Amino acid sequence: MKCFLNQFGAFMVALFATQLAPQPAFAGPMGFKDSTMAMGDFGANWREGFANYAFTGRDAIGLGGLWMRSDDGLRMREVAELNYTRRLARWNQPDSQANVWLVAGLGPVTGNDFNGSRTMFSPGIQVDYETTRIYLSATARLYRAEGLNHDYASARAGFSFYEVDYDEIQPWFILEARRMNNLSDQTEITPMLRLIHNRYFVEFGVNNANQGRFNFMYIF
Amino acid sequence: MKHNYLSSFAAALAIATLSAPTLAATSVKATVNGMVCAFCAQGIEKRLGALPATQSVFVDLKQKVVAVQAKDGQTLDAKTITAEITDAGYDVVKLETVQKSVEDIKAEVKALAKAKP
Repeated sequence: MKCFLNQFGAFMVALFATQLAPQPAFAGPMGFKDSTMAMGDFGANWREGFANYAFTGRDAIGLGGLWMRSDDGLRMREVAELNYTRRLARWNQPDSQANVWLVAGLGPVTGNDFNGSRTMFSPGIQVDYETTRIYLSATARLYRAEGLNHDYASARAGFSFYEVDYDEIQPWFILEARRMNNLSDQTEITPMLRLIHNRYFVEFGVNNANQGRFNFMYIF
Repeated sequence: MKHNYLSSFAAALAIATLSAPTLAATSVKATVNGMVCAFCAQGIEKRLGALPATQSVFVDLKQKVVAVQAKDGQTLDAKTITAEITDAGYDVVKLETVQKSVEDIKAEVKALAKAKP
């Protein structure tokens, strides 16, 4: 019980830390059993964050928030959601790991070009493959509400510059391409520097519109 | 006379020290599949480190090794170690109990890594 209360406390702290912010598309979207994970993805037109608690080694539940804006800066959306993450499959090999993840969110969405709030449903799938030197992933997620369709897709590929020991920082180069339906007509391309340590995960980059990008993950 | 007593005591102490059996540390050493990312593998370290009988934990991604040293007088349960690693999302392919400390295992793994081309 005490352990649960500690985890719940950490979960609440993470929640506020991410400002109720749904699901960034990088690495595994949940931690290990009984852990709380916070994630954030911040750019000029897309800001999201969430925290979830892994109540089994395969399932996590959490709260998140997403703010998104059209390329011309005129239309905005705000989403708050309760989300569920499930690891559908994992293949552990001596030198690699591959995963299939299900992510589903449900919550209100508001916007500056319609009145009131609508209920948004946002199911998605992420697949990834990783070795100590190579990273590949693809994410597809529907963001649907009455009269709204902001479906999202992203693909990532990258490599690490060298292998490191478990407690050392490992630098990676990651290239991401992503699209958001009905808010942007462009494919956003972002080269990023990823730094992985056994305690944190951060990414920095600048996209093809010269806008900065920062991502992070932290497990409590 | 006093000097003789001191000399005898020192000699006896030296002999006793040399002849006493060394208390070897006990560790569980596992070979684990899927450990490719330090950030993701932290779950193994955290879960194993939280076990009451754990003295220290060592994780090596290159050699796929996880080692857990038991506290003096305590025993690590192989089934528990396997369950914790599995709950962290990884597969244990080999597990053995060895009379070595985590530091010894760490030195062996590092030497093995250096010896590899």
